[in-house]
Amino acid sequence: MTKLETVIQPAKFDAVKDALIEIGVEGMTVTEVRGHGRQKGHTEFYRGREYTVDLLPKVKIEMVLPDQIVDRAIQAITTAARTGKIGDGKIFLARIDEAIRIRNDDRGENAL
Amino acid sequence: MSTEPQAARLPVSQPPLTPEFALRERYRQESQRIQRDFEAAGSGLASLSSRTRLVDSLCLTLWEQNFRATAGCALIALGGFGRSELFPHSDVDLLLLTEDEAHRDLIKTAVARLCQTMWDCGLRASPTTRTLADCGRFDQNNLEFTLSLLDCRLLAGDQALFARLHAKTVPQLIARESAGLLQQLSELTQTRRQRFGNTIFHLEPNVKDGPGGLRDCHVTQWIGMIVALASGRKPDLVSVCQNSVHGEMLTAVEFLSSCRCYLHYRHGRDDNTVTWAAQEEMAARGVATGSGPVSPAEWMRLYFRHAKAIDRNRSQLLAQVSQERSSLYRSFQRWRSRVSNNEFSVVDGRVYFQQAADAREAFVVLRLFTFIARHGFSLSPGAERRVNDAHVRLAETMPQDQYLWPHLRELLTQPHAADALRAMHSLNLLTRAIPEFETIDLLVLRDLYHRYTVDEHTFMAIDALHRLKLEKEAALQPFAELMSELEHPELLFLALLLHDTGKGLEGADHIHGSLQLATAAVQRMQLSQEDAATVCFLVANHLQISSTLRRRDIYDSATIRELAAKVGTPERLKMLTLLTLADIKAVNPEALTPWKAENLWRLYTRTAGYFDRSADSERLDADISTAAIEKIIAMLPAHRSGLLSFLDGLPQRYVLSHAPEEVAEHFLMASHLAAEPGSTGAPSGTPGCQPVQLSLRAVSGQQELTVVTADRAGLFRTIAGTLYAWGMDISKAAAFSNRAGVIVDVFCFKDRFRTLELNPPERERFKRSVREILMREAPLEPLLESRLKADHKPFKLTVETRLRFDEECSPRSTLLEVVTQDRPGLLHTISSALTEHDCSIEVALIDTEGPVAHDVFYITCGGKKLGPETMRAIEWALTAELADTLPCTW
Repeated sequence: MTKLETVIQPAKFDAVKDALIEIGVEGMTVTEVRGHGRQKGHTEFYRGREYTVDLLPKVKIEMVLPDQIVDRAIQAITTAARTGKIGDGKIFLARIDEAIRIRNDDRGENAL
Repeated sequence: MSTEPQAARLPVSQPPLTPEFALRERYRQESQRIQRDFEAAGSGLASLSSRTRLVDSLCLTLWEQNFRATAGCALIALGGFGRSELFPHSDVDLLLLTEDEAHRDLIKTAVARLCQTMWDCGLRASPTTRTLADCGRFDQNNLEFTLSLLDCRLLAGDQALFARLHAKTVPQLIARESAGLLQQLSELTQTRRQRFGNTIFHLEPNVKDGPGGLRDCHVTQWIGMIVALASGRKPDLVSVCQNSVHGEMLTAVEFLSSCRCYLHYRHGRDDNTVTWAAQEEMAARGVATGSGPVSPAEWMRLYFRHAKAIDRNRSQLLAQVSQERSSLYRSFQRWRSRVSNNEFSVVDGRVYFQQAADAREAFVVLRLFTFIARHGFSLSPGAERRVNDAHVRLAETMPQDQYLWPHLRELLTQPHAADALRAMHSLNLLTRAIPEFETIDLLVLRDLYHRYTVDEHTFMAIDALHRLKLEKEAALQPFAELMSELEHPELLFLALLLHDTGKGLEGADHIHGSLQLATAAVQRMQLSQEDAATVCFLVANHLQISSTLRRRDIYDSATIRELAAKVGTPERLKMLTLLTLADIKAVNPEALTPWKAENLWRLYTRTAGYFDRSADSERLDADISTAAIEKIIAMLPAHRSGLLSFLDGLPQRYVLSHAPEEVAEHFLMASHLAAEPGSTGAPSGTPGCQPVQLSLRAVSGQQELTVVTADRAGLFRTIAGTLYAWGMDISKAAAFSNRAGVIVDVFCFKDRFRTLELNPPERERFKRSVREILMREAPLEPLLESRLKADHKPFKLTVETRLRFDEECSPRSTLLEVVTQDRPGLLHTISSALTEHDCSIEVALIDTEGPVAHDVFYITCGGKKLGPETMRAIEWALTAELADTLPCTW
């Protein structure tokens, strides 16, 4: 099992979610987050006042998947979230040793 | 309370293995029969009654089996069991009452055996053993026990002992402690209701503890009993209901009881949450509907209707109790409270009619709700009863047309508008005034996102905007400022009131339905064409910003440009932003996260900034006709080519920020320039005596001066100076010019000394003075000197001055943004500095928000953008004029 932690543009969330459901991903945890990578921030003005926007709004999607669909999930995410501009986001992968469904004690991929 | 034991002995089938087994078996069989009866007939109250009788008989049997000598002790039902409302999995509250401590020790073993058998039967026995003296003491930490005594009922044992408890001990205890009891009960109720957000509207409500649930009903009964016992009266259920709602309450209790019964059987435990699945089942089975199966949404509508009845009765009873507890003197003083007027009086935060007959007059009732909206009071039970009694007449005479709008406009902008609308709606008067609202009365949206019914969502959205200034959340504070800047907040509130009405219509697109209903409403109320267009725009686009936030990159300039094009004007952007904020916030308590609020604010500021930065670059082209231009041409079809020439080169902002009628008027003024004295033919911008067209009108408590003339150096400064010299305080202004060099300058100003208002002939003299100064027939300087002498006092500066030049946003002009403390003559000061540096103002957008002036100028020098030296010189000059700090460059 692999955990995918994906940070994307908020505007791309619906497209990414639909693409993941399309390939059979059944569960995900979504968090509204702020952050920046190389995109950094920028300065804006409103009513003559300067605002430094250094942490930009992003959406983080976390999911643990069976290994056999990880590549397809990555493909689905990159296709749906890519604009080609700085700030499109990142995908982080990590090995998961065990998963347990609290309701009935299912283990491993059965618990996903 | 009952004094006679009513239970029959439980028949025990023969031959039993043991008496306990037979008892358990009989209880099981009887319970199953009661459940079957409930499933067949669906009557919750009948089921409760049967269950109570069954458990009564079980208790009696156990009493006879376990308690040899009954003198000096009694078995008493308390709480729900005492009220004969024993739900399938409720606790069975029992009191083992003893004469004294000695008797208590004697029955210890018997009590243990009784409880053991009850538990073995599957009953959750909750026994307590007290002496009569214990029962007469009020335990501050155990209010529940004292309250449960109110519902005590003898099951078995010493009748005389129970009679002493029932007739003497409890009444004396309640009478002695009534004030503390009512206080604690009120606090306990408040705490319980707060756990549910103090609203009856939940996606999965709790039928027992939630607001409008059965516990609220018990609270009203307890309050009624406490008040009655405290005043020596015999308590009864009818006395705790408003007479007019007694039948409504009984129906509501029947409905909720059936619902709770079903939930207990369904869940197999004391779980009172009306889950989604349970809603679907109860709707499909027609539980408590009285008319067979209905849709889940319709079943929930019934649920909320009954919950509202209980909630209202609780609220009214609390008000009544509060009123009864007031001393005559206090009442008299409050009756004469400062906010009372000749129509309404206020006692303990409740509003009463001064004249009973007024409740029959629709306009007085509308003023009553406006009064509530202004002060945040509640309707008194008496006033509510009078309005209810006059409902038929009020329904017939309630205005729905142009006579409604002035009242509704005032109501909507008051701080407690949502409460007033709720009160109006609960008395079925809101839908009489605005029939479009009928579609969403108690309408349930069955999804995981929407917490409240659509009507309540609407009231909460309106409340969310009114409460913005009280918000402590940092992410919401900028929106509070935005709210205070609105020129016509009433239009935003009206749009909010109507924005979801389409959800009650057939069809998937609720926006289309809402727009149809909103259009009908604004036409019927005869709003001005401009106001009606604004309301309809807001309703039609109320999901536009949410959609942009969800689907578009808000840091992409194309997103901002498209949104600005759709919204049209900065004022509409403000309203749509606030509508979006309120709409999200009113969906559920967690819907508006700080993250969402920040993103919304960023989208707003970027789009607002775009409006300022694009004013010069986006100009109209005579060869490209748009829908907005065609609308103007339709007003003067014979002048098509002249109009197109007039509009050619004007900023698009000009057309978007003026109604078609205003543009047509400006065009006619420009057309008349040629006929004016001093005209040299077509406006050419030649210095000297140029013709001028003026228009002066009162708008929203201010004056608006429109000047149409040929452009020339220092013109803007001269107009600003003239207004200042006359003592006028400019709050907003806009200066535009077309390709032919005709300028349209519009100044909104406050008449500081009410010169024009108090002396009508002065209006003509004022216009003549402006005209003469602009045509150079009279000098400005002497007038200015007099004004400067009068305004000699130094101005206290609280707003830091900020200047910013932007060379990127326009291909031909330099943008200068000035944010500074507003003060008399400010615009003249700034425009004079620009004129002194040979700058020409191509476009000016002047705005004032409270003490802050926010002015944007697109300026050129010699027809080109400003050079660095000119910018520096202007910065120094303005900084010296406007502030006591050195220039700062951002």
